[in-house]
Amino acid sequence: MLTRGTLIYIGQRLLLIAFTVLAVSFAVFAALHSLPGNPFVNEKLHGAELAAQMHLYGLDLPIPIQYWNWLKGAIHGDFGVSLAILNEPISPIVFREFSVSLMLGGAALLITLGLGTVLGVIAAARQNTWVDYTLTTFAVIGYSVPSFVLASVFILVFGVWLFNVTHGAFYYPLNWTGTYGTIEELSIPAIALGLYTSGQVTRITRAAMLDVIQQDYIRTARAKGLRQRIVILRHAFRNALIPVVSIAGPLIITIIVGSVVIENLFGIPGLGKEFVESILRHDYNIAIAVFTLYAALIGVANLLVDIAYAAIDPRIRY
Amino acid sequence: MATVVTAQIAEEDATQGGVLVREQVGLWRDGLRRLRRNKLALAGAFYLIFIVLVALVAFAWTPYKPSAQNVCPVEFAYADGISAAHPFGCDPLGRDILSQMMQGAQISLIVGVGTSLIVCVVGISVGLLAGFSRGVLDAVISTVINAFYGVPYLLLSLVLYLVLGPGLLTIMIAISATSWMDMARLVRGQALSIREREFVEAARASGTRQGRILFTHIFPNALGPIIVQATFIIPVAILTEAFLSFLGVGIRPPLFSWGAIASGSNTGGTPLNLLQSAPWIVLFPSAALSVTLLAFNFFGDGLRDAFDPRQKR
Amino acid sequence: MPDITKPILEVKNLRTSFFTDDGEVKAVRDVSFDLYEGETLGIVGESGCGKSVTVMSILGLVQRLGKITGGQVLFRGKDLTKIPADELRHVRGRDIAMIFQDPLSSLNPVLSVGYQIDEAMYAHDVIKHDDIRARGVDLLEEVRVPDASRRIKDYPHQFSGGMRQRAMIAMGLSNKPKVLIADEPTTALDVTVQAQILELLRDLNQNTGTSIILITHNLGVVAGLCQRVIVMYAGEIVEEGTAEQIFENPQHPYTWSLLRSMPRVDTSRRERLKSIEGLPPDLIAPPPGCKFNPRCPFRIEQCFSDDPTLETVGDDDRHIAKCWVRMKRAYAEMGAATLTDTRPGAASGVRPPKTLVEKLEDSREIEPDTEAVGDLRGS
Ligand SMILES: Nc1ncnc2c1ncn2[C@@H]1O[C@H](COP(=O)(O)OP(=O)(O)OP(=O)(O)O)[C@@H](O)[C@H]1O
Ligand code: SF4
Ligand SMILES: [Mg+2]
Repeated sequence: MLTRGTLIYIGQRLLLIAFTVLAVSFAVFAALHSLPGNPFVNEKLHGAELAAQMHLYGLDLPIPIQYWNWLKGAIHGDFGVSLAILNEPISPIVFREFSVSLMLGGAALLITLGLGTVLGVIAAARQNTWVDYTLTTFAVIGYSVPSFVLASVFILVFGVWLFNVTHGAFYYPLNWTGTYGTIEELSIPAIALGLYTSGQVTRITRAAMLDVIQQDYIRTARAKGLRQRIVILRHAFRNALIPVVSIAGPLIITIIVGSVVIENLFGIPGLGKEFVESILRHDYNIAIAVFTLYAALIGVANLLVDIAYAAIDPRIRY
Repeated sequence: MATVVTAQIAEEDATQGGVLVREQVGLWRDGLRRLRRNKLALAGAFYLIFIVLVALVAFAWTPYKPSAQNVCPVEFAYADGISAAHPFGCDPLGRDILSQMMQGAQISLIVGVGTSLIVCVVGISVGLLAGFSRGVLDAVISTVINAFYGVPYLLLSLVLYLVLGPGLLTIMIAISATSWMDMARLVRGQALSIREREFVEAARASGTRQGRILFTHIFPNALGPIIVQATFIIPVAILTEAFLSFLGVGIRPPLFSWGAIASGSNTGGTPLNLLQSAPWIVLFPSAALSVTLLAFNFFGDGLRDAFDPRQKR
Repeated sequence: MPDITKPILEVKNLRTSFFTDDGEVKAVRDVSFDLYEGETLGIVGESGCGKSVTVMSILGLVQRLGKITGGQVLFRGKDLTKIPADELRHVRGRDIAMIFQDPLSSLNPVLSVGYQIDEAMYAHDVIKHDDIRARGVDLLEEVRVPDASRRIKDYPHQFSGGMRQRAMIAMGLSNKPKVLIADEPTTALDVTVQAQILELLRDLNQNTGTSIILITHNLGVVAGLCQRVIVMYAGEIVEEGTAEQIFENPQHPYTWSLLRSMPRVDTSRRERLKSIEGLPPDLIAPPPGCKFNPRCPFRIEQCFSDDPTLETVGDDDRHIAKCWVRMKRAYAEMGAATLTDTRPGAASGVRPPKTLVEKLEDSREIEPDTEAVGDLRGS
């Protein structure tokens, strides 16, 4: 139901997103442009030549003006040209890589939520049994072991020891053709990325389920003669989802952050890998574009989370 | 009748005060008892003590200088891997991994605690400022906090660290820059709620100055949650440092951190090279880091379970 | 009119306990009673005396730490404590429906009211599935929810407390149950709404012949609605009889003091709880003998050693009470009619035996509180 209030709320949120994206992009723009070193070190340019090159790319202008120029393009989806790979337009690159990262992150999010909620419900249903203790302990281990550690172990096991079985299908698509996302390519990295956060989801789901099944309305549902399965899934689980959704925002950010390391580790040609590489080769324009995209993605994801929140809980109206 | 009721209520309140004190003492005792019964929490505590000891020892002594090259002959480094002289092996430049990892324990703890302190200073100042000023300044601060929540924290820390230049202090600042918001929000909330409470009202009515109210009333009252939040930052900071170092942009030689050792960036390699040739160099520091974070979590959970009366049935 | 020859529900020697860290809380101790077709049976007693646990045990709804440890619940010749879970599920909501004290928390906040009512019907095959949607609206109209066809799509938080309880009743009635158990259906509601809900229950009982078990703190409610009354104390039935017998001729000192302290409609819950001195006993380790002895003004020595049994009072075997002394004797020998001091043992002058004094004091033996007694005397 889209009321006026809801629309106004969404408008406000979009404004806040725009503000965040602007602020973030400017901060990163200014920060990166103030870094020592320049993108032309490889070309060994000096003196007048360097100055000419800098001038050509507008790098000699004051930073606010450079930013303004950049912003004018960015609003139209043009993030400028790469400074390292000469004159290569950035936008096609980053948007292509964006789709890769979205694929990886989306798969990880699915694993996180699916695995986390299922295990959480099981742990709650078997409260204080060995099943519960095992699952909760694994959940803590899950979110204590950083995703890059898990990924390293996966690479060692599946990429080194079991290379003859997997043929390393999941890392370093060196001859990348521009498509990414087969199960072989995606599975191991997405699991490495998703397991970390699934531990948190398990815990929250378990706690929420335990809380919910003590509520009066669960007693009502049982007194009505509903099947146990329906009581748990329709009455308890839906309510238990509310706290899970409330951490979905931070969860998504954690996955994005994790994906940077995972992509670098597995050589996945996504935004995260591009970001680190572009920074190391002083290719600011790309780093700024990636950062801006991330900020926008997080903003939109948070907005979607809030909408999902309202969809699950009718008491919440904006 | 009315007077009777008020008298009764007054009496009840008085006894409740007594009960409260008694209950709190009981709570502490019960909590400690429950904490002692929680094996995982205890194990976590012992491991953390162990790590602290290792870090302290590393100030005075490590088997070799962590950055000393060729302490084991390079040709053996990979082939033999682990030996009595180098229980955790050596890196491709012939440096002793155990010595590096002892230093890594130091770095983790310094970064964890240091970041936590910086976050305290920044978060408390900002939070109090917002909580006290309310109005426009509060709104601005809140918006800024919200904006910070919408940023991929690791990447922002990374950029900031590059700008600030390498170093222990700069990495702490870079991590603090993305983890101060929870603390600020917490302190702001505490300040807002406490300033409404009666004794602060009373102090204000009797003409006490704002600064005094702050330090005599608000601070002591908000201390508990602040400490909890501050301890919570430590593992987050340790993890973020490891992430940055693992990406090759964090702690660099001559200092060695767990994340950096595991990444192979110290020797210009990649984790993939290392995993293929000398996986233990990745695995040992990874394990040390993971178990440390696990210990923090077990211990933290144990504390919460033990001191949260709702857990009791 | 109630058919008092045919019990529809027979509870026999029911025992239910909660196994907590501190020990076994025996919440229901050997409770037996019958519910007849078409009657309204009241269960009264202080907070924590086991009323809810008793009726929840009937439908097997005690959970987690709770367990039925003995006895039978006979419904249509079957013992509900023994039948398979799936069969019991079909008794719940179809044959025996239940509504609860707190309508604010008893409806699922994320499902619409109509959905929750319909769902109760889909769970059983009493109502033809094609008719369910229409019946949902009819039911809401029946329980007098205004603008039912529109409001049925609302969520619980959009309903007022009274309307939520009406919706709960509609849900309970949806499968035309033989028995409706109402556990303090009006406690959480304000006075005018209370009266409306009670009227609804009365009409229901008269129009459809549904038997009702009504649990309440409020004796006034019982007087207006119930044909028979059960008084519970510390997990046991201490007196049972027709409404007339209980109100006109109470025989258990606990019933007597309940009636003396009958709240006016405007008194708050806290005052009501204060009206009988002392607190109900610890259900893990209650005092020896009669469990009411720490609070009873008429207690005699025997009360501290022997537990009385439920015995018929006079010549009507419907009236039973569990007491060594009985009010008849208390009136005659201890001046109950003019008693103003209701402290424990005040009327009989019997103090607890030496061996028990310490223990009783430990369990909050009452110091004289002149103000409170004065207040009680006045009412
Ligand atoms: N889940 C539980 N765990 C432990 N003890 C319980 C539990 N539920 C009920 N009890 C105990 O059972 C006793 C009876 O509780 P019950 O809810 O039946 O009281 P009640 O007569 O319905 O009171 P009220 O009028 O407050 O609803 C109480 O003394 C309570 O301590
Ligand atoms: S007189 Fe004795 S048996 Fe009767 S209620 Fe009082 S204490 Fe119990
Ligand atoms: Mg009850």
